[in-house]
Amino acid sequence: MTLDPRSPSDSSASAGDSGEVVELPSATRATDIALDELELVYAFIYARVGNRADAEDLTQQVAMKAIPRLRQGAPASAIRGYLFATARSVLGAFWSTRLGLSHAELHEDLALAVPQGPPSDESAERARRILAGLSDNYRRVLELRFLHGYSLKEVAAEMRSTVGAVKVMQLRALRAAAKVDPDA
Amino acid sequence: MPEQSENRIERIVDDLLHGRRLRLRAGDAEEKQAIIAAARLAAARSGPQRMSPAFRRRLAQILDSTPREPRLTRRAALVAGLGVAAGALAGGLVGRELAYSPAPLPLSASSPVVPRNGRWTDVGAMADFSEGQGKLVRAGAVGAFVFRRGETVTAVSSMCSHLPCELWWEGGSSLLECPCHPVSFTYDGKPSSPAYTLPALNEVKVRVTAAGRVEVLGT
Repeated sequence: MTLDPRSPSDSSASAGDSGEVVELPSATRATDIALDELELVYAFIYARVGNRADAEDLTQQVAMKAIPRLRQGAPASAIRGYLFATARSVLGAFWSTRLGLSHAELHEDLALAVPQGPPSDESAERARRILAGLSDNYRRVLELRFLHGYSLKEVAAEMRSTVGAVKVMQLRALRAAAKVDPDA
Repeated sequence: MPEQSENRIERIVDDLLHGRRLRLRAGDAEEKQAIIAAARLAAARSGPQRMSPAFRRRLAQILDSTPREPRLTRRAALVAGLGVAAGALAGGLVGRELAYSPAPLPLSASSPVVPRNGRWTDVGAMADFSEGQGKLVRAGAVGAFVFRRGETVTAVSSMCSHLPCELWWEGGSSLLECPCHPVSFTYDGKPSSPAYTLPALNEVKVRVTAAGRVEVLGT
């Protein structure tokens, strides 16, 4: 048998890892590294579930699943890749459980890139892109509801419409938004 | 009367805008894309999020209170036939008792596999084992390679100490090879290359009876 000069940890990492090897000199240091990576995971998940309680639950699930890998001193890129692969899996389970859907039906939501840096305003940028792709009425109702926090009644007053009509318009606008951003 | 789609979506949007959890029902699936879009837009309203200090502390506690060698824990669980527990740990369902246990589990590198309520399993006669050659045997959920050297026998777990893969015996090199990655172990469970800082394989208890039968402690 020809032994590969890579360490076993390297060999378990995904192909193409070229990241710096993270030495874990102490449990405290390892925890800090893990928390920094999980901070990215939290932002990633929050951007997809839109509320803190679910984001915390799901991030905790990711942490629990990833603990063995976090303890192995694997390359940083492998740790991050593993965490986000786990996050996608956890998100898939979340949506499929809540909506009664199979993972396959949620494929498009899970095929997302791994963030390379600190939490960014990716969500806001994505929202701007989505809104820009909508018709005036749809954009307006979503801007008022989501960005300005208007109630239905306030939106109706602003748009000189009725609450019932705004509700229907909101639904149609969200359906249209999903089409503008296929990852949504 | 079923709830109208616009009312269901409004309920979900209202929850999101008030920072509440997503309370979804199976019937909401038909508006899956709209719901996901709503969650994304709600997240955008809050801007990039960081963990709250309280949540970060909670995560730190979880990470710190987890046994230091979960890799071994998983392997030990597998070799001891506790695959369900290991799966739960890996699957996050979690082995909460394992994960939250403040004390490390008693198993460590090279510690023997001692199954709860273990029992000795006959795996063959001494004559069935060739001198110096590893033979894979099963004692319930415990897999082991048994080695005969003269009139004595030793055994090590058949599970790699790094990845949960079952080893195989390579007679030519007299090594236990892992099919999952390039590592191998000697008959006594030690990694064959000092360059690899792997734990040794778990020892498996084995004995020879007065009748010349080889028995392994399994499940």
